[in-house]
Parts: sequence; structure tokens; C-alpha cells
Amino acid sequence: MVNLPLKGLRVIDLSRVFAMPYAAAFLADLGAEVIKVEGCAFLSADTRLGGPFGGPWADDAPGELHYERNGVFHVLNRGKRSLTLDLNQAAGLETLKKLIATADIVIENFTPRVMRKFGLDYPNLRALRPDVIMVSNTGYGHSGPFSNYGAMAASLEPTHGSGAFIGYEGGPPNKISNSYTDFLASWTALYSVMAALLYRTRTGKGLWIDLAMYQVGTAFMGEGLLDYAFNGRANRWMGNRHDVHAPHNTYPCKGHDRWVTIAVTDDSEWRALCAVIGNPELAEDVRFIDGPSRLKHQDALDALICQWTTPLDQYEVAHRLQAVGVAAGPVLDARDLFTDPHLMARKFFDHIEHSPETEVGCRPQLGRPWSFSDFEVPTPSAGPRLGEANNYVLRELLGLGEAEITTMTEQGVIGTTPTDAPVPIPVPVAEQLRLGRLVELDPLYRQRLKLDSQPLK
Amino acid sequence: MNETNQEKREHPGASSGGLLSNVRVLDLGQGVSGPFCARLLADQGAEVIKTEPLEGDLARRMGPFAGDEAHSEKSIPFLYLNTNKRSITLDLSTARGRILLHALVRWADVLVENFEPKLRTSLGLDDESLAAANPRLVTTSISNFGSTGPYSDWKATDLITSAISGLMYHSGNADREPLRSALSQSLYVAGINAAAATLVAIYRRLSTGKGGRVDVSVAECMTAHLVQASASYAYTGGLRGRRPAHGAPLEELMPCQDGHVVVSAQGSQPFNTVADLIGLEELKGPMFASAEGRIVNGEALEHLILDGLAHWKKNELFHAANKQRLVFGQAQEPAELYSCPHLNEREFFASVNHPVAGAAKYPRDLIRLSEGSFATRHPAPILGAHTTEVFREILALSDAEIEQLRSLAVI
Repeated sequence: MVNLPLKGLRVIDLSRVFAMPYAAAFLADLGAEVIKVEGCAFLSADTRLGGPFGGPWADDAPGELHYERNGVFHVLNRGKRSLTLDLNQAAGLETLKKLIATADIVIENFTPRVMRKFGLDYPNLRALRPDVIMVSNTGYGHSGPFSNYGAMAASLEPTHGSGAFIGYEGGPPNKISNSYTDFLASWTALYSVMAALLYRTRTGKGLWIDLAMYQVGTAFMGEGLLDYAFNGRANRWMGNRHDVHAPHNTYPCKGHDRWVTIAVTDDSEWRALCAVIGNPELAEDVRFIDGPSRLKHQDALDALICQWTTPLDQYEVAHRLQAVGVAAGPVLDARDLFTDPHLMARKFFDHIEHSPETEVGCRPQLGRPWSFSDFEVPTPSAGPRLGEANNYVLRELLGLGEAEITTMTEQGVIGTTPTDAPVPIPVPVAEQLRLGRLVELDPLYRQRLKLDSQPLK
Repeated sequence: MNETNQEKREHPGASSGGLLSNVRVLDLGQGVSGPFCARLLADQGAEVIKTEPLEGDLARRMGPFAGDEAHSEKSIPFLYLNTNKRSITLDLSTARGRILLHALVRWADVLVENFEPKLRTSLGLDDESLAAANPRLVTTSISNFGSTGPYSDWKATDLITSAISGLMYHSGNADREPLRSALSQSLYVAGINAAAATLVAIYRRLSTGKGGRVDVSVAECMTAHLVQASASYAYTGGLRGRRPAHGAPLEELMPCQDGHVVVSAQGSQPFNTVADLIGLEELKGPMFASAEGRIVNGEALEHLILDGLAHWKKNELFHAANKQRLVFGQAQEPAELYSCPHLNEREFFASVNHPVAGAAKYPRDLIRLSEGSFATRHPAPILGAHTTEVFREILALSDAEIEQLRSLAVI
């Protein structure tokens, strides 16, 4: 059994939704003990109960234990323990403070006023645990005129400037979507927590990290900002094209909504592409003879390549071009990823077994995009059941007695079932398909993923 | 010529007192991902020596350029990705170059590289050579698809890694082709993942005394963003796609009087707050009261919101909404970000004056720390500007030896 790098560190995860829960999940993967603090009456702010579409619940059936069956929650909270505490009751808040006194890292993403209200802002946390490392993730940060503004990735992404650079040719602004800025914040949290841990080891001092997603997102747009600063260029909407190289685009392939990307960056790659197309004379065509000429005639060029790719399979195009050293790749959807030979060979997905009562079975989940030569990260435990660690934390870590724990249960300070939430009314996946929120329902997904459990009826 | 102590403290390699001030990094990165990783380490005080081939990091030939003039000291990506570093040149295709590299490896804690995996051995970057030189070295290798697996030698640009990662399929409009992100995002995301994983390996080294290799796949870094799309398929077989052509007006860009905004119904406020703000009574109808209703009646909602937004300017709506705890956004252009009162009050921009490219305001740091920001801002280095001082200081070479290497075109 390998000693994982963060073994022995305790993380208190007070965060909700996407960005910080995900960051804390990676800390758990790496061996930290991550205790997720949830409130039985406050779950609607997190992902257990599903978003506005509802779910995704295992096999589209919420069931009685719907709060244990949410796929997004499971990815974001794998490897963690779950403690429930009602922080609006004095006993809940006091228990959290005792727990924080034993913690190395605290992660939260409330708006600034909430942590102040609880007396859990950094000066107070430091009084509980002098060398604590605290991450406060907000939309705009704890200082500045926007500091009280709430935020979500969908609104932040264009606000931090991505729309000036992302768009089909000629605009308007478009988005990367998929909660892009949330994930930038996840990576930033991981990077800054690790830097803070090294600092703490060297100096004995803790640290507060004010992680503002607006700031992180803007920094990721830095090249575009500097293009404005140096050259006055305000936006660059060029679809999938490139300002220097051609061909550089997305081309349709056989099947519905199937595409391949191709990027030619020099003349020898261009000649190789012409040979694969079966049209070596094209390499002599003066319209395409060098980079600037190809860029100038890229409409004609793209039309020719489209003609070639349209009847072909997207993987076949990529393999044929890669074989001669031309950069190309299929545009994969989620189904393709789960069955992609490269990701399978690299064992990218974790196959995570859920507790039998949840009837979720074993599901594949996103793993880590990095690995280490001298240790392997074992398959994480499943996203925790609500309050499964109440006894462990209260009794073993904090030394509370049976009577105290009973009182806390009776007063609803702790619990194992949601108290604020009606059973969600999901928009069934078939309806989501009709509305265009899903593009396909694959009736064979269980076979393709080799799921062997019985779906909930 | 001797440097004064004063000058020594001011060079980018001098200890900055940052979180990582005792971490020494050899940055062999080229282009975007490796250099961004090393820059993020430098931002927190690590001492970074950028080791470039004689013709320079290939980012020096990537546009856009300051003043739109193609010049090795004026590449905007290079200027942004290499602040706070020193630059030396070293020809790794020569045996002497590789010997010098391994001498520098003995000095370093971390080596960052993003060459094609198959080139590692010929450049002296294979596990055996590096471990022989310094068993404590953490080597961070970033590649398009990782060091193993059937695509490990595939060629790629940001467009290709974005496509294979799956993220691109989910960006753009449903009635158009998938749309890539911009500004080399997959390479930036790989860079920050590599920085985080590098620090994990250094932290582990505190207890094991051993270094090792960190393998980072650019494409997998973007795949890791697909939490919703992957869970949707694995749990229901439902495939998510791009923004529907009609009927999805919320949490998406919508035109207003002078630009684009994001209207959001998420957060703690009832939808009537949105309706009141936008100013249309019809939005208060029962069909839009619930999240489910707003999805099912999306097309009607879209028409109403478009009508309402026609009376709003983006910046006014952004502030009016956020003051009522509605999480609206607005599409901002660079000029608006540069003049943003919030970013300026948080001192987000730093003035950096580069001796060749000139002065500009750069985004300074990803985070703010209670200990103060350590990111001193030295401009990106002139190619090879620190070759002599680095070989003199770290390898204790004499001026004559350095001259000889120069004449042999090793440095």
C-alpha cells in the first residue's frame, strides 16, 4: 500500500456546487482526508439534489434515495467523508469550529458576508488553528466594488472576456460553456493549496487564499488583453480558423453531427495531406503553394477538404492524417470518450462502486489528467452518503459522548436525510431530448459501459 | 565585470520571499503549456531558468506580436508566458549541451518540458539520464495526449487537443459546427494542471527524498472539465450537446442594446426579481415560475427576454442585476477589462516594461494571498540574456570556458 502524498492532511470542505468541491476531490484522490460539511436543510445549494434539469440520476430514476443517486455530485465528491451540521444552530457552529481546530486546510465558496456572519473568516479561523490554509473562492474576490456580487461560471465566462475571442467568424461573442470558469478555479485552488502547503512546511505559517474567479478567468485571457494593449485589437472571432495557418478547421464526417479537426502548420504537412486525399497535384496548385496563399484561399481550401472528409469516418480521417504526420483529431462526444481506445489504454476513468442501498452500481467517472511515476492513485471511494461520517467525526475525532450525539440528532443539528427538499420533479431525459437540451439518448449506454447492476425501476 | 549586490537582488532569479522561494526550476518548455507551468511556479517565488535552443523558444515565433512586427522579442504569447524568468541558451542536440544540461539538473528541483515524448531520449531527458544526474529531480512532462497510449505520438495543436478532449463538441451552437475555445486554452489548462501536479511531487519528495516524473496530458486536462456531460451519459445515456438554436435564453449570451449579457435565473432570488428587473409583466406568468417551466417554455421566454433586453445597456443591467443578487454577466472586451474599477482596485494589472517590446499592463497573478502577492514583475527575458551569469554562478565556469562554448555554438 503506497503512502499517498497528502496522507495525514485533513481538509474541511465547506464548499458547494462545482469549482471547489472538485478541487477538494483531487486532494482526496491524493490521500488527504476530506470532510465535506453539508446541512440537511441546506442541500439545495449543492449538487446532490440536481440542477434545474434534475439529475442526472442513475438510469434517470431519482427514487427515494435520489440525493444519493446524482451523477454530477458523485464525480465532484468522490473520496470524501460527509458530515452534516446545521450551522444556524449554535451546537452545529461550535462543532465545526472544533473540527476546524484539527484541520490543515479549509475550503469554502460562500459570499464574503456568510463566513463573517459565522465568525469563520480568516482571522477567526486562524485563532482556531494558527497554521490553517484557507481557500475562499468567490466570483469577484473579497475586496473591490464587486465583492458582494454573486456569480456562476455561465455568467462569469463572458464577463472575464472570453466572448471577445470565441465566436464563429464575424461574431457575435460565443462561449466555451460547460462551466468553464469553474474548472479554471478548481485548478487554481489545487495549485495554490499545494504552494501554500510547501510554504507552511518551510515556515510553519498558514495562509489565506482569496480566489476570485473573475481574476483567474481574466488571467487566462492574458494574451488577448496584451494584443489589445500593444496593438489595439479588441476581438478576434475566427471560428475554428487560425490567424496564420491553413487549413485549420473542423470538417464534417460520416454520420450525424460527426466532425474531424485538421491543422496544417507547414508546407511539408500540406503536401502530405494532399497525398492522403489522393490529390498530389493539389500540392502544386498556386493558390495553396505556401502558408500565406493557403490562408488567402482558405474558403476554397476548406471546401476541397470537406468534400474529402464528408463520406469518411471521423476516426479514419484522423488516423490516416496522423500516419503521415499531419495534426488531426476527431471531435469526441461523451460516449466516444468512454469508449476511446487511448483513454482506455491509459485507464483514465475510475470505475467506482456505490453502496448497495443506493442501487447506483458501478459507474465510470472522470479520473485525473496527470500521473506520477513512483506511485499510483488508487480508485477513490464513491461520493459519500449524506452524513455517513457523523459518528466518525463526532465520536472519534472530536470525542463527543453518546448523549451529546443523541441530542444533536434530536435537535436536527445532524442527520442523514434531507429536510429542506421536496423530491425533485425531474425533466425526464426524453423531454430534455425533445427540447434540445440533450442531443441523443443512447438506449445501449449500459451495455457500452458494461454496467452490470440492475437499473432502478 | 562584477555585478553589484543591488543588481543581484533585482534579477528575476533572486529570492523573492514567495511561497516557493526555495524551489529551483529548469524550464525547457516550448510554446505555451510548459512555459505557463514554469511561470506559475515563478509567480509564487520559484527561481526559474528558462533553457532555450539557440534559435529560442518556439513561442518567440508565435504571433500576435507587439506592434504587429514579427520579432523574437515581441511575441505576445512569449512576453506573457515568461515573466520572472532568466533565459539561457543551450543546444541539446550536442553532447556537450546535454552534459551542461545535466550539470544544471543537479542544481534544480524541477525540470519542466513539453517535447514530444519520443524525443526525450535524444535530448537527454529520459528517466535514466535525469535520475543519474539528480535522483531528487521532479521532471514534469506535458504532452498532447500523455506519454503512453495509442495517441501518445500524435501531433496536435490546441484545436486538435480540444477536439479529442471532448470539450469542443460541447461548445458553440447546435445548428453549427463545434466551436473551439481561443487563446490556446487547452495549453493553459495543461500548464496550470502541470504546476499543481509538480507541487504535489515536490511535497511528496519532502517525505520520500525521491523525485520522479509527472506525466500530464493536455487533452485529458480538458476532458476533466466534462463533469456534466460525462455524468449525463454514464448515468442516463443522455448525450449533451451545444447550445440549442432556440429556446435557451438563460445562462447564455443574449443581445441587448449595446452588446451581450447573460441573464440568469440561478441563485437565491425568485424569478419575479428577474421579471421586475427586465421590466416585463408577461415574464411573471405561471409558465415561467419554475425552473422546469422555464425550460419547457423556453421559446416563449426567449422572445420576451429579447424584447426586454432591447431597452438595456449591458453594463447598467450587469450592476442593477447583481445589486439585487441576480447572477448576471456581460460580454466584456479587453478595453473594458483594463478599465474595470474592480480589477483596478484589486491591483490586478501590473505595469511591465520590456526593453524591446515596450511597456504594457499585464494580468499579474491568479490569486491574492494574505501574505501579500509575491509576484514581482520582471519582463520576459531577452534570448540568452542570462547565459553568462547562470553558467558562472551555478556551474562555476570561467569566462574562457563560457567563451569556448559560445564559439562551439553549444550556447
